[in-house]
Amino acid sequence: MATSRCAVVDITQARLDPAAAIDFVSDPGFGGIALFAGRVRDLNHGRVVTGVSYDLFDALALSGFEAIADDAHAQFGPRLKVFIAHAKGRLAVGDLAVVIAAGTPHRDEAFRACRQVIEAVKHTSPIWKQEHYADGDSAWSEGCSLCDAHDGSAGDAQAAGSPPATP
Amino acid sequence: MKIELLLFGAFRDHDPAARVQLDVPDDARVADVRAALDAYGRAHWPRFQPALLQRSALASDSAVLRDHEPVPGGRRMAVLPPVSGG
Repeated sequence: MATSRCAVVDITQARLDPAAAIDFVSDPGFGGIALFAGRVRDLNHGRVVTGVSYDLFDALALSGFEAIADDAHAQFGPRLKVFIAHAKGRLAVGDLAVVIAAGTPHRDEAFRACRQVIEAVKHTSPIWKQEHYADGDSAWSEGCSLCDAHDGSAGDAQAAGSPPATP
Repeated sequence: MKIELLLFGAFRDHDPAARVQLDVPDDARVADVRAALDAYGRAHWPRFQPALLQRSALASDSAVLRDHEPVPGGRRMAVLPPVSGG
């Protein structure tokens, strides 16, 4: 039975589904499920946002998500299920951009695994956000450089990213 | 040899097809592709930002590549500006 599920969701085809995430990480032995839902915010650096376009390098993003899930299993052990899904395309304010879920026997490791996974997705996955503003301007977010990723390792998009700048 | 380079994020704005072809030596390493893209950008893209390329990684379909590594066999690569998912 699979212990992780990773997806890139083209929003012209489907929507992110938190209920599906909870279903996937559920198990009769798991008493704790932590879910993170990231949504498009209406304000960025004081400017009114009307929407966000997400660009992804699908193949590398998926292999990176799988590596992030593998790292979580290495840290938290086999009694863990992980769900990672990120939207691709143009989203409106309030739309779901990312859904992460972690299921474990107890709440502590569920919270910690969920936090570890979303931070890794934000800092290492080949995903780019372009904010669209009410004044008609659009701008790509500055983001975290991957240039210093992978010292001595290969095979995924993971990096020691800088601390989170946004929720 | 010719390399096809996929453009993502801010680099997409430079080319409607979001890809460029670059000529690099047959024994090229990733650093040579970076240098070729820098030259191409300076020559063809009016809004090219060399500093953004310096902060960008190069990758194959399956891995981020370091500058000293050889060009992957498929000869398809991607330029990854700083990431901002979530």
